[in-house]
Amino acid sequence: MGCIQTTQVPDVRFGLDEDDLRPKLLVVGNGMVGHHFIEQLCEQGLNERYQVQVFGAENLPAYDRVQLSKYFDSGSADTLMLASVEAYQAKGISLHLGKEVVGLDIESRHLYTSGDEKWRYDKLVLATGSYPFVPPIEGKDRKKCMVYRTIDDLHAIQHAAKDATSGVVIGGGLLGLEAANALLTLGLDTHVVEFAPQLMPVQLNDKAGELLCQKIEALGVSVHTSKATTAIIDGESSTHRMTFRDGSHLETDLIVFSAGIRPQDSLARLSGLEVGERGGVVIDDHCLTSNEDIYAIGECALWQQQVFGLVAPGYQMARTVISHLSSSSKGADSAPFSGADMSTKLKLLGVDVASIGQSRGFDNAKFVELSDNQAGTYKKLWLDETGDYLKGAVLVGDVTDYNFLLNQYLSGSALTTPAIELFQQDADAPLTLNDDAVICSCHQVTKADIVARVIEGDHSLAAIKGCTKAASGCGGCSALVQQVITQTMESQGLEVSKGICCHFEHDRQSLFHLCQVESITDFSSLIKRHGKVGTSQLGLGCDICKPLVASIFATLENEYVLNLQHANLQDTNDAYLGNLQKDGSYSVVPRIAGGEISPDKLIALGEIAKKHDLYTKITGGQRIDLFGAQLTDLPMIWQELVEQGFETGHAYGKSLRTVKSCVGSTWCRYGVQDSVGLAIALENRYKGLRSPHKLKFAVSGCTRECAEAQSKDIGIIASDKGWNLYVGGNGGMKPRHGDLFATDLSTRELVRFIDQILMFYSKTAARLQRTSVWLESLEGGLAYLQSVIIDDSLGLISELESHMDKVVASYQCEWKTSLETPEFLSRFSEYVNPEQMPAFGLEQYRYSRGQRFPVSTSDRIPLINIPLSEDAQLAELSEV
Amino acid sequence: MRWVDICDESALPRFGGIAAWCENRAVAIFNLGEKGLYAISNTDPATGVSLLSRGLICELEGDIWVASPLHKQHYSLTSGECIEDESLRVQLYPISCEGGRVRLQTACDQSESTALRSAI
Repeated sequence: MGCIQTTQVPDVRFGLDEDDLRPKLLVVGNGMVGHHFIEQLCEQGLNERYQVQVFGAENLPAYDRVQLSKYFDSGSADTLMLASVEAYQAKGISLHLGKEVVGLDIESRHLYTSGDEKWRYDKLVLATGSYPFVPPIEGKDRKKCMVYRTIDDLHAIQHAAKDATSGVVIGGGLLGLEAANALLTLGLDTHVVEFAPQLMPVQLNDKAGELLCQKIEALGVSVHTSKATTAIIDGESSTHRMTFRDGSHLETDLIVFSAGIRPQDSLARLSGLEVGERGGVVIDDHCLTSNEDIYAIGECALWQQQVFGLVAPGYQMARTVISHLSSSSKGADSAPFSGADMSTKLKLLGVDVASIGQSRGFDNAKFVELSDNQAGTYKKLWLDETGDYLKGAVLVGDVTDYNFLLNQYLSGSALTTPAIELFQQDADAPLTLNDDAVICSCHQVTKADIVARVIEGDHSLAAIKGCTKAASGCGGCSALVQQVITQTMESQGLEVSKGICCHFEHDRQSLFHLCQVESITDFSSLIKRHGKVGTSQLGLGCDICKPLVASIFATLENEYVLNLQHANLQDTNDAYLGNLQKDGSYSVVPRIAGGEISPDKLIALGEIAKKHDLYTKITGGQRIDLFGAQLTDLPMIWQELVEQGFETGHAYGKSLRTVKSCVGSTWCRYGVQDSVGLAIALENRYKGLRSPHKLKFAVSGCTRECAEAQSKDIGIIASDKGWNLYVGGNGGMKPRHGDLFATDLSTRELVRFIDQILMFYSKTAARLQRTSVWLESLEGGLAYLQSVIIDDSLGLISELESHMDKVVASYQCEWKTSLETPEFLSRFSEYVNPEQMPAFGLEQYRYSRGQRFPVSTSDRIPLINIPLSEDAQLAELSEV
Repeated sequence: MRWVDICDESALPRFGGIAAWCENRAVAIFNLGEKGLYAISNTDPATGVSLLSRGLICELEGDIWVASPLHKQHYSLTSGECIEDESLRVQLYPISCEGGRVRLQTACDQSESTALRSAI
């Protein structure tokens, strides 16, 4: 089709200004990749530095070829268009349509187009794409034997279909099934003929291909696999008869070839550029061809013996060239092309299909396979020999796991759960993605790219689509993009449209701020002013907002939590100053600061527990929990405890629980500081502080860390020069070691830092957010917290300090207050008419190991019978 | 069916719940001020534990609910339905207030009393 023309051609340069001394950049091809190249070029401002001309062989500017079959849905190409001559002009770029480039002279650096026009270039980009492969079958050039690649092809198919009743697609790959969809839309009796024994043999394994086949046949498409077409001849009942090697035949009115694509490399071939044995313009990591002024990108290019037939790698190549062009002028390094992931997710004939990595498996692969006949889904994961790494996946019928699996595959990290659990991912669960995780594989947008724009103020999906192009390709990642936006905004402390519940469109931080600034001290004012009172007009709120607001009031004012205006807001633990247990009884936890208790108090505690028949257990926080108290008995038990000098341990509150300690320098021969003394002082300072969630502290007297301080919200480890402060540790469900905040502090410095950190946490954390999650959610993490507290970067320190001083000064033992005030005590009368209590007892208990246990019909505590010999062994073990 | 005298209206905490004995059954009474009184069985159908009077009153989806203190299922004070689990339902009791005295109407039979006994 092309030839090299070097002489006798008039030197015409349409649209090029001879006085313009800027170098000339010519682009051959205006398909999706060629267009993306121009977009990126303009974004980088390179359209200012070059005179740019683009040549498109088709009569239309770039359109979305991936969605080609949509043309038949709407009957128009408008929705598919990506580019226009005017838009190019506005950027100073000339777009020549319907102008085929027929020659290339790499010596004199000229292009030749039909009509003997000659164009000089300084830099040339080949984005010529590919052409459909038509197998050399006898009769392939008969009328109504067509291909499926361009909008012109679609016009031809549409025209041919007018007086046809049946159509065959030769090729059951990705494009073939798209073409079959087109024929189906045109109302033809549609057949797919595939040479391989299954559909989509490149991406799918046999079982996935089989399921896809069933689903497609259910839509009325006849699938013929293992059929090698030998000839196309005149049909008897239809226009054509296709004969197959196995002796069978199929009659049809029109035929669409979709047997694969071949790189459109003829220009390169004729001009002497290096091309691959099986086609494709050879390129290096900068997408440079064998000529240093010529690049090739997209489906026409051959990189490391590979042609990439998807749009995403083509886009990546386009960006590689842009990077190379702009860096070579600056003398900087450019980002090389390093291959591309060929994972893909698409809807073929309405069937969801996805493939990731080595989707057809490999030698020695381990796998997990899930075939659900009921739901019509098939999923298979390929793991490496060790079974620890995801290497590939294929999904048919249900592709909700695609993003999660793709991220797992791309991250290259070892699986943390058994592979089978990868199937049960909750599509709505927030994903933990690395910064370099590719969210949008069409446009190669990483999580970090999106996060950066969100921080700059683009908060809507539409805005992010606009500036990063994420989710503007296939659109499959839009939910994920939204998730990243939300997570980023949350970590920025920004208000995401979701409020805490249906009554408030605010998050905890803004509610806290409103209550503080407007001095709101009761729920009904708050909900009337800032919330939704509901149809009852009572402003009742719910079990989410009421306890949350009660906690904010408590942090701000530190009033008695059962004041009339707050009592109805408290959840059951705070409401009755005890911890509700499964049988409806409560547990009682007096404060034992630092875990230090005198023998007399220990005896007193034991006697009270014995008198009220309470099950007794030592807690993880170095204190004693008394279980099984009925609501009505709580005041009586506490009366006795208070008389013995105990006060409430706030075990029921979202507040400071305990400060655990090791015995420290007072006794321990290794201890370097008095850890118990500090623990008692800290516990007494912060007791009663209401916070977004419970708080646990620990103090270790030396670096041996016997108090396990690094697993606490606030951990303190003695050094020989003072105290080292750790923040944000956690045990529990998601253990986390605390971050070292500051070292070698004096006790005074230490206390001030803790004051400020706790108050800053109370002001800014989300509902029920522990310090560990809070610290991780702060943009900048530990360093940010250090700058706020140590450097006072927000100018908040004095306010935080005085607020903490106020809370500390207004401490009261809630049980003592309750006992002194009869109207508060009345809350502990569970029944309004206790005299009517029935004769049968409410409480049913059993005894074991010398203590009382609850009994319920639904759940009996299993008795553990350990044979004597083992019992003895256990006793022995416990001595170790 | 008959009305059983329970207590003085003033004994009911406003916008809160309290339990009452009514012919050997534990009933949770909620006082919603001008919106009136509501009575349901005090037994949480999810666990069989008698404690619904201690739950938080919620307004959701245009209805009024109590959230079970144990696992936070919401039961409608007007229909007895449960938001989280449609197989669960809490028994409603007719309640009235005349001359400052609160009265409850007992259900038709005694089987629930037996059920309560076995549940606890």
